[in-house]
Amino acid sequence: MVNATMQTENVDTTAIRQHELQTVRRSFIRGIAEPLGLIAALVALIIVFSLLNPRFATLENLRNVLDQASVPLIVGVGATLVILLGSIDLSVEGVMGASGMAWILMSANSRGGADLGVWAWIGAIAIGMALGFASGALFTRLKVPSFIVTLGMWYVGLGIATVMYGSGIVPMLTDEAVGGWASSATLGLPNSFWLAAVVVVLGVLTLRYTRLGRVTYAIGDNETIAKGNGVPVARVKTVVFVIAASLSGLAGIIATMKLGAGSATVGSGVLFVVIPAVVIGGTSLGGGKGGVLRTVLGVLLLTVLTNGLILAGVSPSWQSGVSGAILVAAIIVAAWSQRDRLRVAK
Amino acid sequence: MNTVTPPKERAAAPETAPASRRSLLKRPRQLWAVTGPLVIFVVMLAIVAGLTPTFLGSNGLTFIAAAAAPILLLALGQALVLNIGSIDLSNAAIAVLGAILLAFLLAPLAAAAPLLVLLIVTLFGAVNGLLVAYAQVPSFALTLGTLGIFQAAALVLSGSTTVYVSANGEAISALYQSGILGIPMTFWIGVVLAIVLWAGLRFTRLGLAMTAIGNNESGAIFSAVRNRRVKVVVFALSGFTAGLASIAIIAQSGSASATGAGGDLLLPAITAAILGGTSISGGVANPINVIFGALTVALVPIATTAIGVDAQAQNLVYGLVIIVVVALTMARTRGAVVK
Repeated sequence: MVNATMQTENVDTTAIRQHELQTVRRSFIRGIAEPLGLIAALVALIIVFSLLNPRFATLENLRNVLDQASVPLIVGVGATLVILLGSIDLSVEGVMGASGMAWILMSANSRGGADLGVWAWIGAIAIGMALGFASGALFTRLKVPSFIVTLGMWYVGLGIATVMYGSGIVPMLTDEAVGGWASSATLGLPNSFWLAAVVVVLGVLTLRYTRLGRVTYAIGDNETIAKGNGVPVARVKTVVFVIAASLSGLAGIIATMKLGAGSATVGSGVLFVVIPAVVIGGTSLGGGKGGVLRTVLGVLLLTVLTNGLILAGVSPSWQSGVSGAILVAAIIVAAWSQRDRLRVAK
Repeated sequence: MNTVTPPKERAAAPETAPASRRSLLKRPRQLWAVTGPLVIFVVMLAIVAGLTPTFLGSNGLTFIAAAAAPILLLALGQALVLNIGSIDLSNAAIAVLGAILLAFLLAPLAAAAPLLVLLIVTLFGAVNGLLVAYAQVPSFALTLGTLGIFQAAALVLSGSTTVYVSANGEAISALYQSGILGIPMTFWIGVVLAIVLWAGLRFTRLGLAMTAIGNNESGAIFSAVRNRRVKVVVFALSGFTAGLASIAIIAQSGSASATGAGGDLLLPAITAAILGGTSISGGVANPINVIFGALTVALVPIATTAIGVDAQAQNLVYGLVIIVVVALTMARTRGAVVK
């Protein structure tokens, strides 16, 4: 033993160390190359749309884009957390409907009823949390795949919203100060965007510096090993689903505020923006790889694209096709270098 | 399923067939896996019939089967894709696009139109498969992208309006209006296809290769399964069944539109496949049980109306029933990671 160690100490390890250094450097370049590619694509889109329509590159339109991006950004933070676990949350539109409806019925609206002010927010988000807890508990305890649990919860949320709506008149916001809050500007940018920015920062900090965030990556990377290391997998998953659903609830409030009226389908279409945005951002659907800032890039790319296409006069019929083609191109480019005969991609 | 056979049973495995049949009855879990979807459908139907006795008399079954036909056709393709461990989110959009194409082509091409549409949509499915297999991208993300493309194609092609069949529609709509035992032909097409697919999965080299990929793709590659070719075939079959669904849509409504019948069938069809005992992580599929899965999915909204659930609470009930029924029928493996 002693001899062996002596010998290895004398061996020249420069070549090995150099190789390791190269590997580290290469993985670093690969790590920033993908977000840089997205930023380049975003800049290219902005330049093209500015040339096509001078109204694109105005402060007013910037406010518009950031206002439109706020709801998918808030939902996207939660969706990123869930996808990092390797699971998926399809319930966002239902939760948005339930929370949004609860909020407007508890705020000053044309149906009358009590104006609970801040408690309306708390109550609405609590409904989201309850739905998220139900999803998480059914998923972890009954071991039903998250795809199905949250699909069911989508309809449950829609159902709760419809039951709350009842058969009366459409509840409209009567307090203009509340109704206009989301889109009115503070420091030149819309309030809804500031709210989304706070959520994004909290999401980044949670993932980077808290135990919950690190464990989320660990579970997504390899659940069996995480469990073997004493990680309370079921509890962490449940907490992540609760966080995601409360963010959907918050987004439901903002969306209802912008609409100015209560609607069960207030979240309609959000799911099919958020999941492509997360995937285009580069968060792996298998879990364990990605992050919130990548999702921000994905959301901004898709929002700028939608906004720019409308301003460029492209018929709305083409929009889902263009977004789809970009999603296909993005994932093929991202996966191209990793192709291998023995690689398994589901 | 990924269950590891204990050494004792493994040693006893090459015995005679009756032994395995007896063990099926001894193991309630496996018996439930085979009969669960049928039992759940029958129990639910019995509850509905008990609460509203007129339901079965007034063509209730015809109604359910008619509603289940397009769901069943889509679910059969989806079950094959789920069986290899992938998912096809684009098949309902392909069905809508196929229905619009069929509505346009029936007048000029007559009998050749359905065949041409089936060929085109099979090619669409094959393109999905080629990209999944050779670009090695996750099918969830890829088919989410192609879903958008097919939707846009349907919108642009139809000019965002409803396309009506202007001539030669009689032969197609006869598939819906005529039937055997009061069940429309569109549903019987699904039943025949389910039996063919069941036999294909159990007895052909291609079908066994599909299940092998779903169980363990790396293992399948090392066993010389041509995994990429098989994947292309599976996605092409998913496109083909979507084409049959578009024929069922045209047979039922005589028209097609990008936002109309069919577009909202994606999630019901996936649910039907899973209710039929298909594992979402791959390796388990029984097309015959998917028939009962599709019937259950079609029954739930009809049943909630028949029982007299408040119209506003229907989504709520639908969501809860989906979760409960899947929790009951799901293929579970002890200690397996559920995503």
